[in-house]
Amino acid sequence: MALVREIYKEFEEIVGIGNISEEPVVLETYRCVAAQSSAHYGPYDQRTPTPQAVLLPGSTEEVQKIVLLCNKHGIHFKASTTFWSAQGYIGSDNAIQLDMRRMNKIEVDAKNQLAIIEPYAIAAAIQAETMKHGMTCNIQGAGGSTSTLASTAGWQGPGPSSIFTGTNYDNMLSAEWVLPNGEILRTGSAGSGDGWFCGEGPGPSLRAIVRGVAGTAGDMGVCTKLAIKLSPWPGPTYLPSTGAPPSYKADLYENFKYYTLCFPTWEAWAEAVRMIHENRIIYIGHRQFNMFGCDMKGAMVNILSDPNKQLCDLPDLLEDEEIKKQTESMRIDVQVVIAGMTMLDMDYKEKALDEVLRMVGGWKNEMMLKPDIANWALLYLIRMGRKNLNYVYCGAYEGHFGLSRGNYFYSASLVEEASAIKREWEIKHNHMAAVGGNSSMGGLGGVGGGGGVSWEFFAHFDAHDKESIKGVCEYFNKTNQWMAQKGLGGCMGKLNESSRRPDGYNRSQEEFNKTFASTPQPEVFVYQWMVKDAFNPKKLSGSYYKTLDPKAFVEGSGAASRGVFI
Amino acid sequence: MNNTIEKLIKIAGEGAVQFSEDAILPHIGNRNFETPMRPMAIVRPQSGEQVEAIVNYAKENGVPLVPVSSGGPHYSSSSAPSVPGAVIVDLSGMKKIISINRRFCMAVIEPGVTYGQLQKALADEGLTISVPLAPKINKSVIASLLEVQPRLNSVYQWNYIDPLRCMEVTWGDGNRMYTGEAGGGVRDLNKQQAQGKWQINGAGPMMLDFCRLLTGSQGTMGIVTWASVKCEQLPQIHNIHTVESPSIKKLCDFTFEVLRWRFSDELMIMNAAYLSTVLAEDVISKEKIRKQLNDWQAIVGIAGKEMLPELRVKQLESDISDIAKKLGLNLSPQRKEIEGADVLGRITSACVGTHWRESYSEEFAQIFFVTTISKTEFFVNAMNELAKNAGYPVKEIGVYIQPQHAGTSCHCEFLLPYHADNLAQVRELFFKASAIFSEMGAYFARPYGIWAKLQFEKDPLAAKHLKTVKKIFDPKMIMNPRKLSTATVEVAK
Repeated sequence: MALVREIYKEFEEIVGIGNISEEPVVLETYRCVAAQSSAHYGPYDQRTPTPQAVLLPGSTEEVQKIVLLCNKHGIHFKASTTFWSAQGYIGSDNAIQLDMRRMNKIEVDAKNQLAIIEPYAIAAAIQAETMKHGMTCNIQGAGGSTSTLASTAGWQGPGPSSIFTGTNYDNMLSAEWVLPNGEILRTGSAGSGDGWFCGEGPGPSLRAIVRGVAGTAGDMGVCTKLAIKLSPWPGPTYLPSTGAPPSYKADLYENFKYYTLCFPTWEAWAEAVRMIHENRIIYIGHRQFNMFGCDMKGAMVNILSDPNKQLCDLPDLLEDEEIKKQTESMRIDVQVVIAGMTMLDMDYKEKALDEVLRMVGGWKNEMMLKPDIANWALLYLIRMGRKNLNYVYCGAYEGHFGLSRGNYFYSASLVEEASAIKREWEIKHNHMAAVGGNSSMGGLGGVGGGGGVSWEFFAHFDAHDKESIKGVCEYFNKTNQWMAQKGLGGCMGKLNESSRRPDGYNRSQEEFNKTFASTPQPEVFVYQWMVKDAFNPKKLSGSYYKTLDPKAFVEGSGAASRGVFI
Repeated sequence: MNNTIEKLIKIAGEGAVQFSEDAILPHIGNRNFETPMRPMAIVRPQSGEQVEAIVNYAKENGVPLVPVSSGGPHYSSSSAPSVPGAVIVDLSGMKKIISINRRFCMAVIEPGVTYGQLQKALADEGLTISVPLAPKINKSVIASLLEVQPRLNSVYQWNYIDPLRCMEVTWGDGNRMYTGEAGGGVRDLNKQQAQGKWQINGAGPMMLDFCRLLTGSQGTMGIVTWASVKCEQLPQIHNIHTVESPSIKKLCDFTFEVLRWRFSDELMIMNAAYLSTVLAEDVISKEKIRKQLNDWQAIVGIAGKEMLPELRVKQLESDISDIAKKLGLNLSPQRKEIEGADVLGRITSACVGTHWRESYSEEFAQIFFVTTISKTEFFVNAMNELAKNAGYPVKEIGVYIQPQHAGTSCHCEFLLPYHADNLAQVRELFFKASAIFSEMGAYFARPYGIWAKLQFEKDPLAAKHLKTVKKIFDPKMIMNPRKLSTATVEVAK
């Protein structure tokens, strides 16, 4: 549905003629599969609706004017940055898409360890800028090419380095936010013009409205700027690399070391993670290469770290006895980087790590110690710039299970059971790559400084094969049931499917009411309804902000005795 | 006996409700020159269920409630009413340590649990918890966390409000729920823990950060009846060091560098007046200590924990010493005592007997706010100038700079002791300095008393939207009414 000419002209006057489009060929590129993540490609058939227009605002003031105009004409809007997630796409026919790519400034205040960033400042760029000052940032799991602001204000934001740097939830300082009614709110110290150093208060924090365990996925206005806490980078002012493409390797000093730590049991793994966390030993901790599958990772690492090898070498490498041995050695593993702030600090961390391994009976994988592989892995983990490798098997993948509860001893104890479910599906069906079942991966710092893991399993499937899509969807139904049985909540592969209808459109309030009235503490969703009603009364947004109408809460089974909202 | 008192007795029991003059007197606030206000009664509930019943009664009958968890004397104005007819909900009797989990370094505690009580129980499990500077013996851990009192070891604060995590709260609308990870499960703590859930993640649940509506709220949103807190391993070696200088700027530079590499445990800057106040047992020893001190000192804690503690301590001492040397400073090793005062014990332990803030003068005023470490020198210079102009002795001004959130910001505090004969002088200095600091960019993140007016006048949109949020969670405005309101200040004037 096209915008009325007069309205289109009004939008055009705000952003300029070159920063708005309603060309069908352009609009088509702003649609994605109605999945958890547009970047994962699925596994779903339907795509999100076509926006009426795409606008590229260049400033907060332009965003404000766009939002005011949307309010005036009752038009839905959704802002997105690097479009990693389907959450950034619109969900109704009466909507425009804001593409924030023109707003990409980064301002570093090294002394006070913070950076002020705009929406399209990608994590790798922020890291490169901050390294010039001896600092770095947490790079979210979505990778170096994605927006740190989107991950911080719009979604969750744990990453491989969160055990040292904190998650983006932890690192969020003041934020600038164009509210759904067009007001510009600055949270914390920036609200009074005192600086960007503190996101809390004054008094209770309006930051609470911007994000909880996750952000509002663009459903509550547009975040146009925010400050993030930085962390030390004890390396040179840039990230030096060597090697032939695509197998670049980091060329760092002796105060950086990469290891793959391996363990005899999951109990030993969890105990080691506890000690590593409590004793502040590592700089990065991520179970990374298992995403290729527990049977495949040794061979895949050999291919990816060597520019002379290709995927067609995989069958031969899988038969290589030495690689088989090394892959077996890494069944229960985690990739870590230790970084010495000084050489004495490095000496302590090296010895402490060895002591942890000694205490739990763990070891460092030999193959991963080879300089070519270790330096390749070091660059991979520091920059998180290899997301293309997520797609190597089938061109698409999707995360599932999501063993991300705080009790990682419990979730670790379930990895083999989850893996067996996946392995059975891999063997019986031909919907996804058979990689050995276990393809669990994720960071050690789901809560800042550790204390949680954020693991997903990868299902590698073909987004252009309907049978593959259908089969993986059925498999996710199974994993969802298993997660519920184990008290782990829902499967992450299904989580955001519930935020949109299968046809890519927004969910209705009635659908949400049915879902959330029966949750253990439905008050959570009622308060979200009230907050949305107060800050976004015209509901010019999508349906990622999950709400329960207070009337439905009171009328719901057993809920009336628990609350008095009406 | 009025209806409210009868109803409170019915809910909490006869012994749990007091309305005599003796009982009420400690709850009449007058800190930082605010107008004293007399509460109607004090009720001491013993459970979340009783609190829920009290709030629902208050909501139906328009009774103002002021939650209090610490014992007196109360140093913040949030624990005294700003309107007549209020009921103090005194949670100090809820003293259960519900659980301690050694593996995850988590504890769940009730609001009456004090630092002294918790530290002792944690020590038995090989754990400890970060503390604010030498808290009162009867200071509630939960109250201190909700007030966002600065912690001594900011490098352990991945999150600004660490170590606070999940909570049980009864909002002003009468609904009781759990926040954070605990809000995603059944509302039964025992059942959650039986399932292996230890209330580790305080965020959310979902897209609303309920915990941040309670921190800094001065009891205006709801009443917390338990909280989970992140603990730390008890150090096997714990040394304290000082770095002295006549220049605050040099110590700020030192602090930047130490924090930048995440090297210390405790780390703070104090001037001689403040540190001698913290350490001394009496007026005479205070003067003796002050004479021993340089104008400014950084206090540096260095700890070795579970893994190779000796090696860790040796490394940290060497690296921090190198940082000091590069700046022309000296890390004084193992300075456990200053004039007989146990520095580490004093700053990290609950203060037995009369609290140090009250030991050397009849009264004191405090001005504190959040800023960056790089700006603290400007505020110190301004304070000295203002004091000189007001005729207040500059050497009596205590200054305490506590880095927060790994050093991205800091708590900057001025302590102004006074006696009856210079009350008017200090009162004027307090109001004038608060206003000038606000103009200079002091961020009153914890806006008690007059600071609410100063802060919200600079940020009217925050004030407007906080009212919007308050109406959702406390629609009848019964929770500590007029706190965080500019109207409070009008009363004070």
